[in-house]
Amino acid sequence: MYHFPEGLYTDLRIETLFDTKITFKKEKLQEQKVRTNKGAFIRVFDGNRWYYSATTELEALQEKIDELASLATPNASILEHPIVKKFEVNVDTCLKFEEGDLSKIDVMAKQELLRGYLDLLEREEIVHHSSFYVDNRITKEIISSKGTHVIYDRQTCGIRLNMELVSGDKKDSSRASKAGIYFEDLKAIRSELQDEVDKSIAFVKEAVPVVPGDYVVLMSPLTTGVFTHESFGHKSESDFMLGDPNMKKEWAIGKQVGSPGLTIIDDGHVLGNGYTPYDDEGNKAEKTYIVTDGKLTGRLQSTVTGTHLEEGLTGNARAMNFEFEPIVRMTTTYIEKGNRPLKEIVAEIEKGIYIEDIKHGSGMSTFTIAPSRAYMIENGKITTPVKISVVTGNVFETLGEVDALSEEFELLSFVGGGCGKMEQWPLPVGFGGPYTRVKKLTVQ
Amino acid sequence: MKKEWLVIKEKETTVKVKTAKVEAVRSKDIVKKGYRVYKDGKIGISGAIGDVPMAQLEKDATENLMTDIAYPYALTGDKKDHRNYNASPMDAKTLLEETEAILAFFRESYPEFDYSEHLSVIEHSAWMQNTEGLDLKYEDAYFELALILKEIGGPNVFDGFLSYFGRSFDRAKFIEQSKAFMKGYLGKADLPEGDKLPVFFIGEDSFNGIFSRSLNGEIYSTGSSLFKGKLGETLFNEKLTLSIWKNPVQNFAPFFDREGMTYENDKLPLIQKGKFVSVFADKRTSDLYSLPYTGGATGDYDGLPVLTAPTLGFDVDTEDITQVLEGQKSILVVISSGGDFTTDGDYATPVQVSFLLEGTEIIGKLPEFNMRSNLYDMFGKDYIGTFESPYYIGEGAQLHGMWMKIN
Repeated sequence: MYHFPEGLYTDLRIETLFDTKITFKKEKLQEQKVRTNKGAFIRVFDGNRWYYSATTELEALQEKIDELASLATPNASILEHPIVKKFEVNVDTCLKFEEGDLSKIDVMAKQELLRGYLDLLEREEIVHHSSFYVDNRITKEIISSKGTHVIYDRQTCGIRLNMELVSGDKKDSSRASKAGIYFEDLKAIRSELQDEVDKSIAFVKEAVPVVPGDYVVLMSPLTTGVFTHESFGHKSESDFMLGDPNMKKEWAIGKQVGSPGLTIIDDGHVLGNGYTPYDDEGNKAEKTYIVTDGKLTGRLQSTVTGTHLEEGLTGNARAMNFEFEPIVRMTTTYIEKGNRPLKEIVAEIEKGIYIEDIKHGSGMSTFTIAPSRAYMIENGKITTPVKISVVTGNVFETLGEVDALSEEFELLSFVGGGCGKMEQWPLPVGFGGPYTRVKKLTVQ
Repeated sequence: MKKEWLVIKEKETTVKVKTAKVEAVRSKDIVKKGYRVYKDGKIGISGAIGDVPMAQLEKDATENLMTDIAYPYALTGDKKDHRNYNASPMDAKTLLEETEAILAFFRESYPEFDYSEHLSVIEHSAWMQNTEGLDLKYEDAYFELALILKEIGGPNVFDGFLSYFGRSFDRAKFIEQSKAFMKGYLGKADLPEGDKLPVFFIGEDSFNGIFSRSLNGEIYSTGSSLFKGKLGETLFNEKLTLSIWKNPVQNFAPFFDREGMTYENDKLPLIQKGKFVSVFADKRTSDLYSLPYTGGATGDYDGLPVLTAPTLGFDVDTEDITQVLEGQKSILVVISSGGDFTTDGDYATPVQVSFLLEGTEIIGKLPEFNMRSNLYDMFGKDYIGTFESPYYIGEGAQLHGMWMKIN
């Protein structure tokens, strides 16, 4: 074990990373890579300033700890410091994926699985395609001078088929993908992938430019997830409140921020990209109700933000990898399902837009969604596919414009990509929700 | 068996800023190694993070030959070029002193805002060698400043940012420049009249994606490029030259690609004076689609060379913003996040933060608005020019000007 210097708080996070990447370009194997790496991130706190070090020299961790400690000023009452007091002390080993361990699956089985889906792409309109199998498995060990010693594992895998499509003069690029946790999750997805391929082909053939304007917008569970993440998820990351004492009043718990019936949750227990049973400070995951029935009921915290805001910890201090320090991030963020059938919600829309799939989103005071597949809704029916550059809305107004949530509900993970926050991109996150109707968004 | 290896070293000291104060000091010293072996027209790869012996990586790459991945192309060889662009980077002590001084200035002069994020000194090297005589080494070190501004009492997560990127740093110049930007952040301005206004983008991030996709040799040859069938045609304004850009002076990145390709003057035009003269193609794409080999391979440190998106850069083609606008007020975009092009080249984006300009003088912050256009118009009839940035925001920074529809 490690010797932690007197008068300082110290923690370290050791990560063992396994990942596989297999790529086909058309029918040819382009790349097959399996790698295992290890790295560690060390933090030392003297009550005034933090000292961090990222390293791959695991045999020299004690030296690195001592090196950081030499920069700090020992503080005899460090254990009484409010931040240090706030850290949870957890001792747990939570190796959930030893059975079904992706690193134990033969790489040739992974290649064969992917190869088995390539025939779905043999279509006249698909002029080129690249296909990917990816997986990753991480084991994290978090040890602190306060006594935390947590070991847990997480893993995800996925298939993604990227398509270049042409129909006459019309062109598009699209994808069909499916994320999973176990290898078996990717074995019976042929019909799902087929459906996505068919929709992509129909879209390139039939899509017309949208007439820009304000529309009623219906979002799929995938789009709802990104909308939730961008529109209010980032707002709930409490580190932005630290430098502004007014923010606690502005974002007071209990404030009405959305329509009645709207509930937004962040939950690190959900298996998938956002699974974080312990955050990167060793604090336990919570199911955090950020918005309940339209009212602000919680926000996401690290130990530092929880201390300054005098609020409870939520297990949301996450780092992109061992090269970075944990900061406040989402885990799996979603809108809770509603109680209305989708059919009924669509039937009520005289003229609107349905966003089924997206390329990316962003969130400031104006959030954005760049759709990859969207359709007109006319007289209660989903009709013509439309090409849209971007859909925008105001964060402060849009949650109040949500007027219908379906009983159909889905939680998802992307294959690749993730959330970006300053220098830390991409961090895997989960997302999802019901079909969500918003009364007005700007479509261009 | 032919062998090739790449060693990337990243050494960094970062001062993290929170609530306008130094919150933390982070150090990082990481080595990444990639190894490739070539035998009988096949390639095997391996790699590791950390100082793993080359003999181990060679063994792993040799085992990886069993994956049977074809790579029947001649290796680039007989080429030695070692370059160091900054042998005397700022040290950690100076970095901390600079940070403290800058934060003290902002806390005192502009208490209306909270400041967070980081200042870094990053030392970076990439060394690619092979058994055919390739020996390319790039070493560099640069200073990076990124400060997020949040208006105290405002509802936003953040309201703007200040940044600088370069091999040297002049604090006095940065502070003078910041005063001009802060005048903008503190002053309110109205959008000028008119449906179409001159707009300046800082850097090319907003359009690199559509150009990279449309100029990709593989996408072009298979027919899904926006520029399909237009090679040799003049598609854009005759001032415009866009190149594969491998000049570390502006790029802060290696002058060679992941197959060892280098360029005369470190660039290769793809659009020259408005004319579409070439797509980009790595060895595989060049062979498969009978395209001229231009280079442009990217890839992970331990991966195969792939053709995705090499860095593209614009030639500076116009000198004086004030002169070219002839008194017309214009817009400087600071943050336009989330916009995109459709596959037809139509472009739309919200502009979250922007300033009104008179010449190059910042007058005030504009309200949020949306703007749109089309790639051919933006870089065709509505193109104003690419300018060296008149602002102290980074070495080699550019502004791209064009008339945009405002709504």
